[in-house]
Amino acid sequence: MVPVSPDKPLLDELRSIIGDRARAGDFELGLYGKDGSVLEGRPSIVCLPVSTEEVQQIVGACRRHERPFIARGSGTGLAGGAVPVGDPVVIATAKMNKIIEVDLDNRVAWVEPGVLNLDLTTQLKPLGFHFAPDPSSQQVCSIGGNVATNSGGPHCLAYGVTSSHVAAIEVVLPDGTVTLLGDLTPEPAGYDLRGLFIGSEGTMGIATKIAVRLTQNPPEVRTLLLDFSDVRDGAAAVSAIIAEGLIPAALEMMDHRAIEVVEAFVNAGYPTEADAVLLVELDGLAGGVASGVEIVRRVADAHRVGNVRVAADDAERALLWKGRKNAFGAVARIKPDYYLHDTVVPRGKLVEVLEKVYRIADEYDLIAINVFHAGDGNLHPILAYDAREPGVLERVHAAGKAIITASIEAGGVLSGEHGIGLEKRDYMGMLFSEHDMTTQDLVREAFDPDGFANPLKVLPSGSRCSDSFGQHVPEGAWV
Amino acid sequence: MKKVAVKLGIDSEDLASCVACGLCLPHCPTYRVTQEESASPRGRIALMRQAETTGLIDQEFVEFMDACVQCRGCETACPAGVPFGSMMETTREALAEQTRYQPLWRRWGYRILGCPKILTLGSKVLAVLQKLNLLPSKLALPKIPLLQGRLVPSGRDVWLFTGCVMDAWMRDTHRAVQRVIEAAGAGVRFPDKQAACCGALHVHAGLGHEARRLAERTMEAFPGQAPILVDSAGCGAQLKEYGRLLDSAAAHEFSQRVLDVHEWLVNHLDALPPAHADAPRIAIQDPCHLRHVQQSHDPVRVVLARYVEPVILDDEGLCCGAGGAYSMLHADTAAAVRERKIGSIERAQVQEVVSANPGCLLHLRAGGVTVRHPLEIVDDLMRKDT
Ligand SMILES: Cc1cc2nc3c(=O)[nH]c(=O)nc-3n(C[C@H](O)[C@H](O)[C@H](O)COP(=O)(O)OP(=O)(O)OC[C@H]3O[C@@H](n4cnc5c(N)ncnc54)[C@H](O)[C@@H]3O)c2cc1C
Ligand code: SF4
Ligand code: SF4
Repeated sequence: MVPVSPDKPLLDELRSIIGDRARAGDFELGLYGKDGSVLEGRPSIVCLPVSTEEVQQIVGACRRHERPFIARGSGTGLAGGAVPVGDPVVIATAKMNKIIEVDLDNRVAWVEPGVLNLDLTTQLKPLGFHFAPDPSSQQVCSIGGNVATNSGGPHCLAYGVTSSHVAAIEVVLPDGTVTLLGDLTPEPAGYDLRGLFIGSEGTMGIATKIAVRLTQNPPEVRTLLLDFSDVRDGAAAVSAIIAEGLIPAALEMMDHRAIEVVEAFVNAGYPTEADAVLLVELDGLAGGVASGVEIVRRVADAHRVGNVRVAADDAERALLWKGRKNAFGAVARIKPDYYLHDTVVPRGKLVEVLEKVYRIADEYDLIAINVFHAGDGNLHPILAYDAREPGVLERVHAAGKAIITASIEAGGVLSGEHGIGLEKRDYMGMLFSEHDMTTQDLVREAFDPDGFANPLKVLPSGSRCSDSFGQHVPEGAWV
Repeated sequence: MKKVAVKLGIDSEDLASCVACGLCLPHCPTYRVTQEESASPRGRIALMRQAETTGLIDQEFVEFMDACVQCRGCETACPAGVPFGSMMETTREALAEQTRYQPLWRRWGYRILGCPKILTLGSKVLAVLQKLNLLPSKLALPKIPLLQGRLVPSGRDVWLFTGCVMDAWMRDTHRAVQRVIEAAGAGVRFPDKQAACCGALHVHAGLGHEARRLAERTMEAFPGQAPILVDSAGCGAQLKEYGRLLDSAAAHEFSQRVLDVHEWLVNHLDALPPAHADAPRIAIQDPCHLRHVQQSHDPVRVVLARYVEPVILDDEGLCCGAGGAYSMLHADTAAAVRERKIGSIERAQVQEVVSANPGCLLHLRAGGVTVRHPLEIVDDLMRKDT
């Protein structure tokens, strides 16, 4: 085992590289131990670099001192990916937040990893473009974090997830070398290592520069809010809309409890009596959008929709989205803690799995709240609880496992967009065989043979050589 | 670092209510200019938790807490409804009472705010030094008037709260506000020296005892039932919080009578003279204590819209960095925060800017921005027409 206290020689070396941006204060270290999940660890040292060269030198120093390192963006991850285990050095990219170049000829922008997703889109607005992946955490999550978790978002239903919007990535590899994965050509030669890196959750190196693709803002947008007095009707309407051959830009669902907490925060006129609402957005050329709206209305009518509200202007549209995008945080209005799952199920099984989720929550005496990307079947069942209640965590875990089992049995997968991280690592065996996982381990080892980069994440055994960093989620990692 | 024992005494429900989602980070001015977790609302709450669980703090902790502007932009942004402002006030009060967080010289500085005689005298000295060019320019003080004349009451319909620094340095603004209120058909009266200071800066500094003393004193200066109008967003926010601060029936009743002057004006707009033909483009800087604390920034827009073309800044109400005494105690951070605001103002391409809070006015002016109180512009334009 590596010693627990920050060793002075390493800190001295890091200070010689980045000065007082290498931190080891007691209180400050505690601030880089958590992300948006319920897990918590503790770094040995926190580094706040401002350039690729600094990241490279920090990685070099870590290697010389045989100390693992872990990249951190904005710390909004929901799978514990940025939670330090095994006493690593945290390399936080937040200060690397420059938009380096907007290249409209190639329709890309080169950005540093710490640029906030929404900041980029806001800056592009006057040019008529945006960055399509729009996680609900958009206002705060970093592009580096989006790349590392291959984030999705409401509008990824039509536009595709992060991987479709990244052309090239400059990476500091775990051995300290800098390389460029991918390029700006439409169909690069050789293996798609760029694609492999996206979603690797910091286990294959640190992204220090990213060429993101720019998407043109649609000429016409319509946002509809449909309310249903039975959540099953809402869920069935989702499949029916897609079955009509229509791919809305976004198709989101919220259940009764979600509507209540969200409305308490935004006052957007969400129907608090409804059992469920669908937030549907259509975009494109005016004619197509208009006929899309008709299709949605027709299908919704056939599924006993209550009220159909069409946002009158941009302000109303923004307010409705503000509600949806703040839903997770607003859950704290019911209980102070939540545990969020991220399974994907075939759309046709939505009703069945949703019913199971409610039943499971009842069984374990927990509150389930559902707010999710219905269009692609990406469920986000939230189990709300109060961590101060004795024994509640065991119930939360058991219920979580039951939900995952139900989703996988319905033909689904473990994670739609939040990644595996630490939290879902030990569930990988439910989806993959031993052989599958060994193969994945080999891929990881090709990038990081000695297991320095974000050890103990994603794969149950960690990278096979990283055992020395401690095998399990540390005791007390649950808060 | 040396640790000392402290009990912050924050409500445990409040502490637990933050889910660490981070959605407040981009709305926090100090996070925006540092990108450091310790300068973010989420970080500060986590620090409070650490301090409460261990019962220990050190100098690092104190510095992190002191670097918060207390703008409460994080409260508006927080979907979980975390009451950050009161948690920070509790923290500061515990620090002030249990540690040497507020040294004696600072305590005296705050004290003077409640003593109009010393404040006026001091201001006169400053004004003279300023005239003689004897003040270092890096102090970035506004032009301080030497002689101001008295405010003359015109009736008993409404009170106008005058405050401490604002009354000593910006009495002309009060005069403009008075004229607008009178044009709207009401007679204005002024409190006596009892109401010299609302105590907002004291609360922010953790000097709760002093703040409560000033609150008691201020309340006595406003007998009767007439509405109490305030033309300083920071003071207005504080007066509206007397109910919570003193938790007495009288204090709650008092707070009910307090209105930001624009809140009162929206219901008296029709009485104002008609608008001039060509309305200038004016950007509105929402003071945090109007937007995030009083949640009453809309009335400013409604009142202004009668005379000008109001332009909303694109930074979603991010703080300008003034923060009462903050701009003096943390000049570098305050200036960096102001740079962002100036960027937003430049993008708005306007003739002039307004802000309904004296602290923001002074801080922005020191940064080279042409900015006035909204009602100074209204006063100008309505007189032009009559
Ligand atoms: C309220 C809320 C709503 C959310 N909604 C969505 C949603 O709709 N869709 C969605 O997909 N996710 C969502 N998330 C999850 C999260 O926001 C995303 O996973 C996001 O991409 C994480 O970005 P981050 O900058 O916070 O990364 P962090 O949490 O800091 O890190 C996440 C992972 O990426 C790695 N990493 C970070 N930066 C780099 C880098 N430069 N190089 C290599 N690895 C790196 C870290 O090591 C870690 O494993 C939500 C989270 C919250 C709190
Ligand atoms: S204060 Fe609110 S917005 Fe900020 S991290 Fe906590 S819960 Fe989220
Ligand atoms: S009050 Fe303002 S400065 Fe302090 S944490 Fe909240 S947003 Fe940041």
